[in-house]
This record gives sequence, structure tokens and C-alpha cells, in this order.
Amino acid sequence: MAVREERRNLLDEDNSLSSPVRDDSGTARPMAAICDPSRIHHRIVVLMFMCFLGFGSYFCYDNPAALQTQVLQDMNLNTSKFMQLYAWYSWPNVVLCFLGGFLLDRVFGIRLGTVIFSLFVCVGQVIFAAGAFFNAFWLMALGRFVFGIGGESLAVAQNTYAVNWFKGKEVNLVFGLQLSMARLGSTVNMNIMGWVYNRIQDLMGHAGHTTLGVTLLIASSTCIFSLLCALVLGYLDKRAERLLNKEQGKTGEVIKLTDVKDFSLSLWLIFIICVAYYVAIFPFIGLGQVFFIEKFNFSPTQARAVNSIVYIISAPASPVLGFLVDKTGRNLIWVLCAVVTTLASHMMLAFTFWNPWIAMCLLGVSYSLLACALWPMVAFVVPEHQLGTAYGFMQSIQNLGLALIAMAAGAILDNRGYLFLEVFFCACICMALIAIVMLYFVNYLRGGELNLSASARAKLQKSSSSDSE
Amino acid sequence: MLLLLFLILQLVSGFILDSDDYHRRVSLELNPGLNSSVPPGVSLLHIQARGANDTLHFLFCSLGAPTLLLVHTNSTSSSVKVDWPQFLSKNDSGSLQVEPRSSVQYSSALVFTRLWEYEDVNNTADPQNMPSSSFFPPYELQSFTWGDLNKTLNSTAHTAQLCGGDGTSSFSNGSLCLTISAFESVGRDHIWPRLLHNANSSQIHVWLKGVTARSNYSRFSLELQTVGSRELPSRVDVVRSIDDEYTPSIFQVSEWVSSPVNSTSPVLGYSQWKPVAYRTAAHILEGATPCRHSSPQPMAQLPPSGLVKAYFGDGYQTSGLNITFGIAGDPFYSVTNYLSWTVMVGLGSPPVDSFSPLVIVIMAVGLGTPLVLILLGGVCVCIRKRQAEPLAYEPIN
Repeated sequence: MAVREERRNLLDEDNSLSSPVRDDSGTARPMAAICDPSRIHHRIVVLMFMCFLGFGSYFCYDNPAALQTQVLQDMNLNTSKFMQLYAWYSWPNVVLCFLGGFLLDRVFGIRLGTVIFSLFVCVGQVIFAAGAFFNAFWLMALGRFVFGIGGESLAVAQNTYAVNWFKGKEVNLVFGLQLSMARLGSTVNMNIMGWVYNRIQDLMGHAGHTTLGVTLLIASSTCIFSLLCALVLGYLDKRAERLLNKEQGKTGEVIKLTDVKDFSLSLWLIFIICVAYYVAIFPFIGLGQVFFIEKFNFSPTQARAVNSIVYIISAPASPVLGFLVDKTGRNLIWVLCAVVTTLASHMMLAFTFWNPWIAMCLLGVSYSLLACALWPMVAFVVPEHQLGTAYGFMQSIQNLGLALIAMAAGAILDNRGYLFLEVFFCACICMALIAIVMLYFVNYLRGGELNLSASARAKLQKSSSSDSE
Repeated sequence: MLLLLFLILQLVSGFILDSDDYHRRVSLELNPGLNSSVPPGVSLLHIQARGANDTLHFLFCSLGAPTLLLVHTNSTSSSVKVDWPQFLSKNDSGSLQVEPRSSVQYSSALVFTRLWEYEDVNNTADPQNMPSSSFFPPYELQSFTWGDLNKTLNSTAHTAQLCGGDGTSSFSNGSLCLTISAFESVGRDHIWPRLLHNANSSQIHVWLKGVTARSNYSRFSLELQTVGSRELPSRVDVVRSIDDEYTPSIFQVSEWVSSPVNSTSPVLGYSQWKPVAYRTAAHILEGATPCRHSSPQPMAQLPPSGLVKAYFGDGYQTSGLNITFGIAGDPFYSVTNYLSWTVMVGLGSPPVDSFSPLVIVIMAVGLGTPLVLILLGGVCVCIRKRQAEPLAYEPIN
């Protein structure tokens, strides 16, 4: 899943959560802590619902990867058609990244918007399952398209809820928790879906597209669970609004496409790094299972487990590495380390028979490191009023890259095999490496501030804020 | 960085392997030395591959079980002499000779003896552990009726195709075919599994087309026998390779080699194949099905092949193995009614795959460009620093 969840929302927290609770008659009444929106107990309950809001969409996003052999065999597909299932997820998000904030702020409001996007996720997954059940690939692609419309925008809504209910340092913790829940969803999916399919196959007596359809329909139950969380969250948010007299939350994103012409060279290089890097991760995980089965002679269960290790590692590693990057600064060096480590990992998988657990663990760590170091860099090179546009643009071209490269990866695999596919991914990472090297020198020669240590940056911020006083 | 360099070295060394550039002149001859007409169903194809100072004779015959006989001589003027009446009566050995006999360095034969069909109701694709009741009576290839090689002979492409059936209802709409190809130099087949061949090898492509299976859960297994000198035991090596460019998703190659007992001595002859078979006529990734082999077993007598009986006498031993097509969960034969497999038979060591130039170029450019950029950038930074030094001290007023 793309990295919406790693984005920092820069909306200032101006919630007045400290005012006493008043009911409709205007008199203050004591309320149980767990029902009082201003108390931490209630907010923890809300946090739980917030975390499970995205669980369903992350669980179902990687269903094709977890069931790769079954999908290929039951629907009689080649790999390029299989990868279309991922491409169709990314296509709507090329445009929606710009519209998501607008839709949530102006058109639907956060509460209704969350429910609508959850509905899209549910319906999309059900259409996807129906496509498998009726042996219609076009229906499966349509299901993934509808699923994609809801999936990414739901992440924006999740972030908005987080910023509205929590403030200050709590927000980082909440983002971290949401990210971990997302990763948990992906991991559970990878490891469980194969087992579910086998149970259904035993029950139905044969393997085939109907078995696949039933399995995917069972997966959609997680989406229904997320929809319920969205409804509950909407109710609790409305209740809090009523009791605390606060406004419905806003994403705070302001997108102006004309700002694109003002983007600096450093920003474009950051975009290149983002696209070139992530297209070598997510399509690879999509195709990973069969790669590990064929090359390393893993059993399907082992192959799925090693495929999910990237997500498993990312869950605890992201907060730790985020803390590390925050403390030391020098984002460019960290990004360089992450890119080089990923390159080494891909080359290990391509050119050696070394145990893939090593390479995949390295991949998990470097993937987390890059996310922690790269996304904050956008905030260092872009003025605040253009930040929404910059992030939206970055998401949009990332999804465009993912859609195109997913299809390319499938076609490459069908015609040239896994070694060539891995070399292709290495070439993408090399492009990211070229971009980060260029960014380092551009930043150095132009006196930019991307590679400042944390203390230097704190000094800079203090002097700039004292200058403005 | 060290890791990257090491991987680059491994890459480059994989490329700079001995590129085998030996050339031979190949000519095809049908039924050498035969004057009168031949009874239908028997063709003897003689492929002569003349090198600089040696000759490789490939003999392909359908008398009895289809056989490929390989004879290597160290003379450029060796020839094949056939005593046709004796040969056709399948009486005793010696009816086929390679003259002069003293020049013969190495000879071996690969015989396709039987096609097994079994009913895999539990979808386990494990014939070695199936009860014998699930096996249908095997198709004995020695009793098949074969087509005429003369019609399918292609002298420019150095190929010939042999098709046949046993006349029962299973083969009423289909046949078992074998295509033999000989090569003049290094090259690669154009369809999967795209085995690498050199001047010392020949390729046999076996396929079943349109044959009606005897049950809906049928899977097939091909029995092969090889005949070689008694001092050369045979074994099957499974070689793993990181390169699957030419046969996507297949990272192994199986080689049935005959080499002296001391395993460090060179291999004298081989049969090489990739453990994959294709269920569709267009060899595509979705139609690939893995195949497995059993370990070679010594056989008590020579295979039922007229060519083997005619050429080999005493001092030769036979070993056989089965190639099983399909694994548990794969679609059965009756889904597509097509099954195809390719094997390379040759002299000396089996050819070794290496990276294609495109892979090398991509990796070189991909890894080289950042290094070049780092160097250039470092130089720029140094120049900048040197230029900036005079400005370090400025007067205060």
C-alpha cells in the first residue's frame, strides 16, 4: 500500500479539549471517564476504532500477493494480467490524491466522507470476490478500481481523525500506532489467506475460481468490520462535537496545482527518489511468493512468511528509526543508506542463493528508514502554504509509477524471468541512488539545509522564529 | 560497497566463461547405403557433424524404440556402414558399424522405451508411491507405427520429425512426436526452454498432441534408457543457477552424465534437460508444469531398440529412469491434451548458461553512473572549496 500513512499532517492542533463537557441543556454533568470525550479513557477507545478503520483496506490490498499461485491457476492468468490487479488499484489515486482533502473538507465532511470511502472499500472488495466467483477478470479489475478509490482516501481520513482527537506529541504516537495496525493487517493477510483458501478447498472439495471467490468474500469481512468502525467513529465524533462544542475536523490541505511550477530542483529530485524507490518494493512483494517458491525451493507457507517480513519489521522499526532520524538529523545520509541497503538486498536476491530471510530483513529495515527520512525532507524544501500540493503531487506520481511499473513487472516476468525482473528493480533503485547522490551535491553546493544535523536544524528554527518576532 | 564489488565480480566472471566457439559442418543422410526400398515404418537418419579433426555421428532410428545413438570418432573421414538385411531382421549386433572402428572414442545411446500413464485421483503426482492398480498398461514405443522421416527432413535447418502412434483409439486423433535437431555451433533454441547448444550436442523435442487420455485424472511419465560403457556409471546432477532468463521461473538444470567413477574427471557424455514441461503448444509461462526424474537404475538387458542391438555388443550397460510430468495440484493432461518436453544429448561436458549481455549492460550502467557522479561531485566540491578559501578572511571594516 502506498505511504499515505507515513505523511505528517501539518494542521495545527487547535482543539479545545480542555473545556468542560456541557450537554444540551447547558449544565455541566459528571460523565463516566470512558464516555467523556475530553478524557483520555474515551480517546483511547476512539483510538482503537481509528486504528481498525484502516485494517480492512490494508488487509485486502495485498490479497492478490497472498493468493498469487491460486489466482494465477484458478483464473488462468499470466503474470502481466495478474499485476493489473495492482495497477487498477493505483490508477484512481493518481487523481484522487489531489481531491481527497477537498472532498473530505468541503464536500462530504470528515464523518460522512469516512463512511463513504469505507463503503467504497467494502463494495470494491465484494465486486473483486464476485469477479473471481463468476470467473470474470474484468469484474475483478473493476473491483480493485473501486477498492482503490476508497483505500487511499480512507488513509487521509484516518490521519485527519488522529490530528483532531490528539495533540502535540500524542499525534506522533497515534500515527505510529496507525501505521503498525496497517502493517499488522498486511502481515496477517499474507500469512492467513493461504490457509483460509485451503480450508475452503477442503470444504468445497475442489480448487477453482469459486473457491477463490468464496475466500475473497471472507476477506471482505474485514472491510465490513472497518465500515462498522467508520460508523462508530462518525457517531462518537458527532457526539464529541455536540458535547465539546468543537467544529468538525478538517484535513487542512490546500491544493493549488499552479504551485507545481515553483517546485525547486531539490523537490523534483525527492520526487524521483520516492517514485524510483517504491516501484522496486511494492510490485516486488506482489510477485514475491512464487519467486521464493521457484528459486529458493520454499514451501508456499514459508514463501508467504518471508514475503510478509518486510511489513512485520516495518511495524516496530518505523517508530524506532523515526526517533533515530529525529535525533540525529542528516536526512540525506539516512536516505542514501536506505537506498544502498535496498540495492544490496535486491542484488543478493538476484545474484545469489543466500537465504532470502537476510535480504528481506534488510529490505524491511531500509524501507522503514527511507520512509522516516524522506517524507519530512519535503517539509524542509517547500514553504508551508505549498506543502499540501507538494505531498499531493508526490502521492500522485508515486501511484502513477506504481500502476505503470506493476504492469511492466508482470510483462517482464512473463517474457524474461525472475533474474531480469530483479535486475530491472535494481535499475530502478540505481535511479533512486543517482537522484540521492545528485540531491546531496545540489544541496551541498547551493547551501541547502536538507542534511543538517538535528541540533543545527533546531538552532536554525530558533533563529528564524526569533527573526520573525 | 565491498558487497557490491563482490557481486559485480561474480556477475562478470559468470559472463567471461569459456564461450564455446567450436564449429562443425552438419549433413543429414537418410538410410545410408540402402539400395532397395525400405519397409514402411523404418527410417535411419544419419547426421554427420564434421569438425576440424574429429567427427560426431548421430544416428536416429525408429526400428524398435526410438533411439538416438551418438558416436564420436577422432577422424574426419569416418563413416557409417550398415548391413541392411541383418539390421532389419534385428538379429545380432555388428550390423551397424562406424568405420574405421579404431577411431571410435566414445559412444552412447538414449532410448525412449515407454510412455506410462497413471490415474492420479488424489492429485499427488507421485507415481513412485502409487499402487500399481492406478497405472494403465504402458505404451510400448517399440511397437508404435512411425511416419516417414523422409517427408519431415529439413536439410537446411538440420532437423527431422518422427511421429507415430500405436493404432489404438487413444492415438486416433493424436500422436507422439520426436523432433531431432543438430547444430553447427553455439546457439540457443528460439522457444522455451531455450536450451543452450553447441556443436557437440543435438536436441530432441518430445511431445504428445491430441492423444486421448484413458481417464480424466491421467498424468504421464516417460521412461528413458541410456546405454554406455560398463566402466562409466551414470548419475543425474541437478545444477542450480541464478539465471532464469531463458526459461523463466526455472532455476535448475538436470544433467544425466556418464563420467568415470572419480568425480573430478571430465564428463564424457550427457543428456541435459530443464525440469519443466509445457502443457500448451505455445510455450508460455502459464502452461509450464514442473517435471521430476527418478534416480537412474541399472537395467538387466539392452533396451528393445534395433539400433542399440545392431551397434552395441558386450561391455555395455543400460540404465533407465522415468521423467514424471506435473506436480500435485497441476492441471491434468486432459485439460489441454498437449504435453511437451525437450532434452539435449551431447558429447563432453554439458553447456553452461551465462548472463545475457543486456543484463550485464544494465547492471554496469546502473551501478557505474552513481559512482561516476560521486567522483564528479567530489571533484566539484574540492574545486569549490579551493576557490572559496581566499574569501575565508574578510577585513572587519
